Amino acid sequence: MFDLSSTGAKLVFGILLALIGFYLFFPIYWMVISSLKDNTELYQVIPSFFPQHFSLAHFWSAIAESKLGLYLLNSLIVSGCSALINTVLALYAGFSFAKYRYFGRQPIMLFMLSAQMFPFGLLLISLYPVMTNFGLLDTRPGLILSYIVFALPVATYMLYSYFSQVPDELIDAARADGASDLRIFHTIVVPISIPPIVTVFLYSFMWSWNDLLYSMTLIVSDDKRTIGPGLLLTYLNETNADWGGAMAASLLVSAPIVIAFIFLQRYFIQGVTAGAVK
Amino acid sequence: MTDLATHSGKRLDYPISKFARRGGLQAGQQRIGLLMLLPAAIAFALVILYPFLQALGLSLFRDTLETTTPIFIGLANFRTILSSEEVWESFGLTVVYVGCSTLGTLLLGLGWALILNQPFRGRGVLRALTLMPWVVPSTVSAFIWAWIFNSRFGVINGLLLELHLISVPQAWLSTPEGAMLAVILTRIWRSIPLFMAFFLAGLQNVDGEQLDAARVDGANNFAILRDHILPHLRPVLIVVVVLGVIGGLQDFDTIYALTGGGPVRATAVLSVEVYRKAFEQWDIGTASAIGVLWVATLLPPAYFYLRMLVKGR
Repeated sequence: MFDLSSTGAKLVFGILLALIGFYLFFPIYWMVISSLKDNTELYQVIPSFFPQHFSLAHFWSAIAESKLGLYLLNSLIVSGCSALINTVLALYAGFSFAKYRYFGRQPIMLFMLSAQMFPFGLLLISLYPVMTNFGLLDTRPGLILSYIVFALPVATYMLYSYFSQVPDELIDAARADGASDLRIFHTIVVPISIPPIVTVFLYSFMWSWNDLLYSMTLIVSDDKRTIGPGLLLTYLNETNADWGGAMAASLLVSAPIVIAFIFLQRYFIQGVTAGAVK
Repeated sequence: MTDLATHSGKRLDYPISKFARRGGLQAGQQRIGLLMLLPAAIAFALVILYPFLQALGLSLFRDTLETTTPIFIGLANFRTILSSEEVWESFGLTVVYVGCSTLGTLLLGLGWALILNQPFRGRGVLRALTLMPWVVPSTVSAFIWAWIFNSRFGVINGLLLELHLISVPQAWLSTPEGAMLAVILTRIWRSIPLFMAFFLAGLQNVDGEQLDAARVDGANNFAILRDHILPHLRPVLIVVVVLGVIGGLQDFDTIYALTGGGPVRATAVLSVEVYRKAFEQWDIGTASAIGVLWVATLLPPAYFYLRMLVKGR
């Protein structure tokens, strides 16, 4: 794209690369390094940029003394279920919008998408009494259902734009062979749509996995808490913040999803930017 | 599938779903289409639309800890919030927060995409690693930045002391400006990866021959950026700004985990303000009214977003 043969251009390129790269990656490095220092080294006014003595003490205490495992399990259950529900709902709705013509199709779709302007915090105000009335407050199913708010509209749109590109001939040919529409969808369309389905699943999963607001409000008991509020309540009380433990727990909690995304990033980036870039 | 056709009790020339009995093929297909939409539509109506309308309605009621049932008070909540200095302050903070973080992410995300679009060794690894700030849970990113900005042992204080730029450690998160700076830097850090992904996708189909031709005509790097790459990226730029503004307006988690909206009210943007009013003071009516103001801020970007989608078809 740019010609970097001259020294000046190389210099500008190198400086920008170093500056933005430092901003992006130093905080991650700092989390890792801080989790590996012992407390004497961690609590110094002038910190060391490379640990003198490696110590795994913070990791052991994060695993043994906190309920990290429980929070992780809860997050996994809640995020997994809500991502599954969202993906299935979006799968049918996206296909319906893409391949069928009926009255009100486009207005309905645009209306669903316009839900992005409904503030999540405002919806929570009335979701809270609704969940209370149905006995779903402080339950995992209640939280799972609430997470439809975050991802369903965009997930539907992502699958809609993918299905729009599936050739009609493929479906018509199967119809001529006598297959029913639902059967065509299940046996022909879904199997060729695995990459976008994975993308949408991950997209929904990430919203729930990252959430703090809904989980913190709709879950009260400690044994159902997910990692967001769980970490916050374990490690950040004004009087006694355990930063080493917080960094170790952060690292443990982030590692699985970071690794999954690094492997699946190609699909993911394509899916999320699809439709916006031509 | 054949059993479905005989199941209807009529002889059909082609077997299709039992939902498609009457009105011929086209009406049958319409019915299947609507049937496929139904589950999502029900979920949408129950979990998104109904709570939304309900919250809009609640903004017309006095509903606090002292009221047993909500009392209809018309637009009184709006009169209260529109004359409340706190709400206007929160509105101003939201503008600063969303404006600065979107602009910052735009510049850095574009810069990073342009860098990672140049061929060099290790580029693929860097691209993949760039996703990290985006996928770590919001609480984790708040932890990391709170620790970096820590008043006693934070690395920022350490660096500035070492360079003799300050003589005593600063309590960043306890001052209004420092706290705002911290939440904005955290927001930008979290959003660069997504912006970069959009820009990289947009850069994929830049016409290389056109750039070569311009270079033969004597255009330098800066001219190529200004006259060719930026105009090419204009549509992506608009998408990114709109999505960035919507995301910024919706953002709650990192701010709450990092500063709790404080010190005092210094980072209480609309999302935090609504949460505090609703779930800390249990003043549901006022919280909903502020929420309506919040919807109003989201309307313009949402309008642009929908218009782009319609045009894009």
